[in-house]
Amino acid sequence: MSVVVVGLNHRTSPVELREQFAFAEREIPAALELLRSRGIAEEAAILSTCNRVEIYAATPLAPSAAFAGLRDFLVAAHDFKGMVSNELYALCEPASVHHLFKVACGLDSMVLGETEILGQLKQAYAVALRHGHTGARLNKAFQRAFNVAKQIRTETNIQRGSVSVASVAVELAEKIFSDLADHDVMVIGAGDTGEKTARALASRGARSVIVANRSFERAESLARELDGRAVTFDHWQEEFARVDMVISSTAAPHHILDRARLEPLMKLRRNRPLLVIDIAVPRDIDPEVNFMENVYLYNVDDLQAIADDYLQQRRDEMLRCEEIIEEKVKGLLNDCLASSASRFAYPTPTHA
Amino acid sequence: MFLLAVVVYGASMIHSVFLWQKGFRRDDRASYFLLLSGFLLHTAAMVKRGFSLNRCPVNNLFEATLFLAWALVLAYLVVGLLPRLRFVGAFASPVLFAIGVFALMPALDPPRGPKPEFTGWLTSLHAALVLLAYGAFGLGSVGAVMFLTQQHNLKVHKLRAVLSLLPPIQRLEAVTNRLVLVGFVLLTLGLFAGGHLPRPEGVQYWMDAKVLWSALLWLLYLAVLVARWRFAQTGRRFACGVIGVFAFVLLTFWGTNLLSTLHHP
Repeated sequence: MSVVVVGLNHRTSPVELREQFAFAEREIPAALELLRSRGIAEEAAILSTCNRVEIYAATPLAPSAAFAGLRDFLVAAHDFKGMVSNELYALCEPASVHHLFKVACGLDSMVLGETEILGQLKQAYAVALRHGHTGARLNKAFQRAFNVAKQIRTETNIQRGSVSVASVAVELAEKIFSDLADHDVMVIGAGDTGEKTARALASRGARSVIVANRSFERAESLARELDGRAVTFDHWQEEFARVDMVISSTAAPHHILDRARLEPLMKLRRNRPLLVIDIAVPRDIDPEVNFMENVYLYNVDDLQAIADDYLQQRRDEMLRCEEIIEEKVKGLLNDCLASSASRFAYPTPTHA
Repeated sequence: MFLLAVVVYGASMIHSVFLWQKGFRRDDRASYFLLLSGFLLHTAAMVKRGFSLNRCPVNNLFEATLFLAWALVLAYLVVGLLPRLRFVGAFASPVLFAIGVFALMPALDPPRGPKPEFTGWLTSLHAALVLLAYGAFGLGSVGAVMFLTQQHNLKVHKLRAVLSLLPPIQRLEAVTNRLVLVGFVLLTLGLFAGGHLPRPEGVQYWMDAKVLWSALLWLLYLAVLVARWRFAQTGRRFACGVIGVFAFVLLTFWGTNLLSTLHHP
């Protein structure tokens, strides 16, 4: 019996196709039951996330027969009428186990090294285990995958650093302020990235959020979501003395804050450090303010450059991760081979 | 043996330049082990001197300086047991090297007289308080250098700032401020104790180089603290003030000590 995997992911197919093959969590136990009852697999688990749909199966069938059976099952289970060819991949041992380990470590994810997938994989395995659709083969493969993911997380830098603009902004804030819980955030302009950044700061404990937007309704709506307070766009400067972090993302064609306007405001703030995140294009904040004492200005390119560098560092770690995975795959397959051989040499005694 | 220890502190200081360039991205064992080797040599030197004197070797300015540096390395070695705080060695080693070089200056360790220099409880109290104050100012200036390094990174080398193990600048400034405040209180008490010591015949107290220098130092630290507290001279200006005044201490302490009739009757 060997482990095979059939599926599609963000690299092989667009979201329009992936969503047609996705399984709702409540449908998975029945799908696994059907899969096993048809004799395609003796053990099976289904991983269905926004970026991938994969069936992991332990089957006594030859790989080609198992692939055909799993493909037909996927198509039939979703009543898919279109054509699929290259979008679906099919892997047999050792590539299937290698793939499982890479998925667990986040090496096959859209955001390299992300950890959310490990939780989703654990959840998929737990569902299969709870309903009795796994056995010795898949149990061992999944347990090893979780162990490898843990080892890679502790021994390499694959998960180090922030790879999104919002999380880089939070990291910078934490390099300036001792404790975000003592500081307030102001969002000027309620754009998407500004909202994500404010949300990230709030989730890391920022004391409160003040939202200023040209449309006061939109400001109120975002403030409600962030458990903050809305102010009219004309009055944002009046709130400036009490905030320590400013996220600006307006559609203004000119600078809304420059050195001449900020200098008296800094005096009001008694020169406390001020973090200014300017994610607007064209920029809202005059770059000159970065030369002011205790003012730390970052624009979208600064944040993106840091995120890209982190990503590059993660890519550089890929080789080390692959080496660890390669070694663990060999270890698992050798163990399986040894346990099959010992079963053959010493058959399990049967009792009357 | 102490000379060897100072050489090792110097090697650690040179090594810390490379750590500085890399932006303190990871804990550095080399720096820790260099300072550990220096510490062992330093301890051996103090033990040897203690045995030769048959008492604790803190009797004159040279020995007190040795003891202060020894206490600083020990503090670092304990803090450095935590890998994420090991980078502090890169900041501590230049201070240790400077103190070591200072201790090796001539006339700081005169041939021993019949009695130790630090005799009487008030003299001991004066010396202990003032030395502790210099220790606090030294650590404060280390904090200020860390602040300036990280602040520069945050403004210019933005990636280095986020990868660095250095603490947030707000915390660095708060720690520096507290250390300077503690140093200032200790210095005030130490100078107060010194003012009540018996004065040798024929010495004009307020014309003594060390007395004038101490008063100037006290005023300089007072000015740094008042500028921060009253006039919001925070951040870089405060850090530069702390470093500048401590550099003044390092550069002029030995000279004024030699010129002082009160300290060399």
